[in-house]
Amino acid sequence: MTATASGPGPAPAADGGGAPIADHALIGDTRTAALVASDGTLDWMCLPHFDGEPVFGSLVGGPAAGKFRAGPLRRSPVASRRYRPSTTTLETTWTTDQGRLTLTEGMVAELGRYLLPETLVVRRLAAADGPVDVEVDLAPRLGESNRPPVVRHRREGVVLAWGSLALALRSDPVLPPGSGDAATSWRVRVEPGRPLTLVLSTADRQPLVHVDPERAWEALRDDEERWRRWCGHIDTAGIEPRYRAPLERSLLTLRLLTYSPSGAPVAAPTTSLPEDPGGVRNWDYRFAWPRDASIGIGAFLGVGHVDEARHFLAWLLHASRLARPRLPVLLTLHGRYPRPERELRGWPGYRSSRPVRTGNGAADQHQLDGYGWVVDAAWLLTRAGVRLDGETWRAVRGFVDEVARRWREPDAGIWEVRDDAAHHVHSKLMAWLALDRGLRIARRRGVPERRRRGWVAEREAIAAEVRTRGFDAGLGAYVRSYGSTELDAAVLVLPLLGLEPPGSPRTRATIDAIRSRLGAGGPFLYRYPPGSDGLPGGEGAFLPCSFWLVQALAASGRRPEAAELFDELLAWAGPLGLYPEEADPSSGEFLGNHPQALTHAAMVQATLALRDSNRLGGSPPS
Amino acid sequence: MDWAGWAVFGLIATAALTAVMIGAQLAGLTRLDLPLLLGTIFTADPDRARVAGFFAHLVVGQGFALGYAAAFALWGRATWWLGVALGAVHVSVVLGAVVPLLAGVHPRLASDRAGPASRATLEPPGLFGLNYGVQTPVVAVVAHLVYGLALGLALGAR
Repeated sequence: MTATASGPGPAPAADGGGAPIADHALIGDTRTAALVASDGTLDWMCLPHFDGEPVFGSLVGGPAAGKFRAGPLRRSPVASRRYRPSTTTLETTWTTDQGRLTLTEGMVAELGRYLLPETLVVRRLAAADGPVDVEVDLAPRLGESNRPPVVRHRREGVVLAWGSLALALRSDPVLPPGSGDAATSWRVRVEPGRPLTLVLSTADRQPLVHVDPERAWEALRDDEERWRRWCGHIDTAGIEPRYRAPLERSLLTLRLLTYSPSGAPVAAPTTSLPEDPGGVRNWDYRFAWPRDASIGIGAFLGVGHVDEARHFLAWLLHASRLARPRLPVLLTLHGRYPRPERELRGWPGYRSSRPVRTGNGAADQHQLDGYGWVVDAAWLLTRAGVRLDGETWRAVRGFVDEVARRWREPDAGIWEVRDDAAHHVHSKLMAWLALDRGLRIARRRGVPERRRRGWVAEREAIAAEVRTRGFDAGLGAYVRSYGSTELDAAVLVLPLLGLEPPGSPRTRATIDAIRSRLGAGGPFLYRYPPGSDGLPGGEGAFLPCSFWLVQALAASGRRPEAAELFDELLAWAGPLGLYPEEADPSSGEFLGNHPQALTHAAMVQATLALRDSNRLGGSPPS
Repeated sequence: MDWAGWAVFGLIATAALTAVMIGAQLAGLTRLDLPLLLGTIFTADPDRARVAGFFAHLVVGQGFALGYAAAFALWGRATWWLGVALGAVHVSVVLGAVVPLLAGVHPRLASDRAGPASRATLEPPGLFGLNYGVQTPVVAVVAHLVYGLALGLALGAR
């Protein structure tokens, strides 16, 4: 399951401390999520939502920040670990010296009209081949100050409360009196045929709901059935059979990272997992980026999940309402402007990667490329036969007008490098895309002739400028920004847009130059030349870029190369099919927030590009 | 009870309240769109929903105006400050109870409990409508005070 530097698959962390990033599985209910290490330690979960305060935060907050462990008493090797097929339920089996122990766990996503708490974590330990001693250690701590709860042991179970926020643990069979300061640590023996079911209920400004463990287990099984049905609606026609399971896992991950009450896509459920272990590149990703929503629209639309695609666009337009015609860079899950970025005092960080941050300072940037992603997503929906209502079309027109007005200004670019406003070529390409796709939608929805002519003129002006100022004749490739000789992996979108023919010499040369100059070994790419962002330390290879390279190769008629690269990337996925933001190209160690929605969306898009290139017989589209 | 005054000025006061809300929305102060919120009870098409919601809001506004007129009749007088006071009570009920509870009955409004099967397209407004922007409670308060003021002034002048 793990690998060395010489082979594919994520490697463990180089030094001690907590479990490596790659060792973490995601469970979730589409309102919040938890990360669970392979020893059964749940070491990350925020309440009441993805962007709430951590109650289990030891992943980046150290032992003082809380955890919930359920696993073998003595550390034992993992015999198998998987998600149950087509579900979000995690199953970990250990081989202990007493017998086998299996932990089946998940969160109940669909509450329906039943009296169930908003977040319900269900964990069942079952022994086989003999009784197995297990440890249950429930040690939640709230927020930055690692505040311990007030603990009450009641007939229904244990209640742990911090004012209006409370947790309750029930079990079947009932746990004996526990040990530890709060008596919330247990060592018990699980007999074969008599599993131990643990149910953690949460309540935020609501009465606690004590859920009978058997009822909670049934709710989890019902949920599994719903996820299977959801997966049954994935359109896999034309997709190679070996790609279907990874595709399904990526789509499930994307759905788990979609906040159901508003439809917002969460970039990742974590904050401050480092891009550079021990370094300062630690960011809070528990927000929604309009760019991610737009890429998600393409991903869900491509596999026939039209409702999810429509919801993303609906969220996007609703959330951006207050700022229009400006498109915010990122928003909270309810479409609010994020709180200022700050550092959590005393939090040691994952492998001493400090600071641990909440909030995200990129919110104030001007990023031109976002408009292109959004208008393209609207076009994809239109092309798929979804009628944009008047309000949506007005908003999209507003975005196109904004691009027509502002594309000549420098911007922060897709990589959100701080204090680096420049004429980024990728931003200009995406501005061209916004105008082009706006014109395509206008052909169906209509737009006043004067406005249409204005859009056409600006689109042509961008194309002319990018072809001259964004292309370096010496390199033979499109570059990162005007006048620069650096490359940018984001420019791999080039063959997908229509500004340059996908098979043109300029497109081919740009793809090849990016691959060779930003290549980090194996299937990995840096997003821009390492060390060119003004921050101390380095960073890993940026995984979405590798999937964009697959797309670019497939779209430009180089399917065999694309398929080979894609196979390599699949081999580097985590043991459960999850991807983070970045990977150390030399060891494969996972870096950055995990799992990352953008990487999974790019993975889905790459799969679809391979499918489409197969249908075209490997030729670039005309 | 001034029935004619209620019929005419209830309509005017509701139109004033709606104008304040729409104005605030266009000014980028809130995402709360009352006609859309009410209209999507009947249809998923936002354009049609706004029309349906506008008329539904007029009816609802007329209903509340009946309460104002009844209160004025009970007190034996209608003044601008009594109207404003009633508006303050009115908005606290709307923001504190009606809007948060709407998710329980509205077919297209998600709740905080929404899961993957939810086909709701509108996000829950949350307590005081804060999910629709931090200025939403302020806008709602101003709109309802204008509503009460209009009714108090108009009915007091008769």
